[in-house]
Amino acid sequence: MQTDNGQVTYLDAIGQALMSEMEADPDVFIIGEDVGQFGGAFKVTKGFLDKFGPRRVVDTPMAESGFTGLAAGAALLGLRPVVEYQFADFISAAFDQIVNVMARHHYRTGDPMPVTLRAPFGARLRAGPTHSQSVESYFAHVPGLKIVIPGTPEDAAGLLISSIRDNNPVLFLESKYLYRRLRTSAPLSLEPMPLGQAKVVREGSQVSVITYGAYVSECLDVAAELGKEGISAEVVDVRTLVPLDVETIVASVKKTSRAVVVHEAARRLGYGAEIAAVIQEECFWWLDQPVLRVAARNTPTPTSPPLEDAVVPQAAQIAETVRKVATA
Amino acid sequence: MAPTRARRKTGSTGEPVESRDKQLLLRIFETMVMTRAVEDRMVSMYRSGDLLGSLYTGHWHEAISVGTASALRQDDFLAPIHRDLGAHLWRGLDPAQVMASFMGKATSPTRGRDGTLHYGRLDLNIYNLPSHIPDNYPVAIGAAFAFQYRSEDRVSLAYCGDGSTSEGNFHESLNIAAVMKLPAIFIVENNQYAYSTPVRLQSAVKEYAVKAQAYGMPGVTVDGTDVLAVYDATSEAVVRARAGEGPSLIEGVTMRMHGHAEHDPADYVPREMLEEWQKRDPVVLFENVLLEHGILDEEIVSKMREAARQKAIEARKKALADPLPDPATVEEGVYAD
Repeated sequence: MQTDNGQVTYLDAIGQALMSEMEADPDVFIIGEDVGQFGGAFKVTKGFLDKFGPRRVVDTPMAESGFTGLAAGAALLGLRPVVEYQFADFISAAFDQIVNVMARHHYRTGDPMPVTLRAPFGARLRAGPTHSQSVESYFAHVPGLKIVIPGTPEDAAGLLISSIRDNNPVLFLESKYLYRRLRTSAPLSLEPMPLGQAKVVREGSQVSVITYGAYVSECLDVAAELGKEGISAEVVDVRTLVPLDVETIVASVKKTSRAVVVHEAARRLGYGAEIAAVIQEECFWWLDQPVLRVAARNTPTPTSPPLEDAVVPQAAQIAETVRKVATA
Repeated sequence: MAPTRARRKTGSTGEPVESRDKQLLLRIFETMVMTRAVEDRMVSMYRSGDLLGSLYTGHWHEAISVGTASALRQDDFLAPIHRDLGAHLWRGLDPAQVMASFMGKATSPTRGRDGTLHYGRLDLNIYNLPSHIPDNYPVAIGAAFAFQYRSEDRVSLAYCGDGSTSEGNFHESLNIAAVMKLPAIFIVENNQYAYSTPVRLQSAVKEYAVKAQAYGMPGVTVDGTDVLAVYDATSEAVVRARAGEGPSLIEGVTMRMHGHAEHDPADYVPREMLEEWQKRDPVVLFENVLLEHGILDEEIVSKMREAARQKAIEARKKALADPLPDPATVEEGVYAD
């Protein structure tokens, strides 16, 4: 699970955070397809069955809607379910339960609905149109849901702990691209991190690059490269899409007067549209340039490498856009 | 339409009426009478414009809603639909709150945030379902899961209609509950129509209870106008569930005597069909059973019916006088603390 110097992957950070919450709170359980003996489609729950037993590590029939609603009912009775979807793409089968049963419930009744919905999402794994989707925008439109997308292993652990302790349904989207690509730089902390706080992950003065998920590390690399050209880019990791930390984003843009929003989701009504709208509402008079978006094309995500690379944002494309906005 | 005084033996296979708990029988009857009185009152409220939108009633479903609820304990979980006012009243919901819900009042269980049939209260162990039925089925198996998780001997009972059996959530819930041996009871209120769609266009299987077999659970069809038959079938399922033997399905066959809701004249229902079912008013049928066995006499019955009528009138007065919610609070409660 971890290297000699204590580094853990994004995937293991999630597994360790989940395990520590299950150790701490007997009401927390994990439910989903193949989460037990198999350890989950990506092995996040490897070893959980042996440790916690089948009562708390619950393999289900192949029925996303059914086990999502089951989690809602269990939450109403005081449990804290963590639901795993094998791929975020399959969450569409549970859309009705999430939107109509979970998200509205507290507003309608005042009863808490503490469910965490964990789903690996995103592209760049050559997985094709129905295994690569970014689903955050479907759900960001729904009042009553929180949406968390960690971009680092440290955030994945801290934000997952807070999501599980939250009394609302939280959609926790895990970048499956990052699962085994990113490691912590130090031993993992298992302290909760508050939801609803964006983070300036690189200070800069000329342009704000606002992003989340797998594109946080991508944008940091781009910013480092642009630094060599003398361009000072600030990178803001949104971390929690709902509730959105408007304050941190606005403070950054007021400082730099220029902004580019980067995400992997399709451009049309992607979450970047919301961020761009918030920026122009809150700091139009501070802007020196229009807010631009770097996002996937409005196509499904194709499988073949040259096709997929032509659809989802590439480093060169991000660099070009940030350079343009920073130097115009 | 004056109810016909049909005389009919109960179809229950359970114990004879005279050896049953008399207080329980009376409470069941009283709740059925109250359910009818409240819904009849609300029909007139709908017609006189007291309500915001349409009105969903459960005429001829009283034996199912009360027969099931009365076979459970107060700490068991219920996930009713819009035909099951009787289950809510059994648990102690104030009829004024039901009316307040149809009026968008601040005193409704949702404080006016939801309305019409959405008046379930968790403090009464009743789920407040969304309009998507049977979305309450997966939630109900979740409650059953929680009971199993905590080794509690509580059960969870969910209702749906014949139309709901075509939805994926029906299938997924029955399947999961059976695989996990959850303490769940599924009620199918077969009332012949899903809005305008007759059962023959809903399912190629005529007896919905047959579907239970495919999931590996017992299924039984009972006369949904016979409250003791419903009570007995539910009690049997409750014993199974509490003993850890898993879920059961009960189909109660009845008729939707009003439209889908009051705005719907239901012209698609053949006249003769309604006339035939008119003879099988579950409240009257049970009244006759109780009269036959000397548990009630005509005088007590008419006093009970009048008392229920007065309570419904009082409930209307209260609901009408109740305040509307304050728009300044509209953004409160989207998220829990």
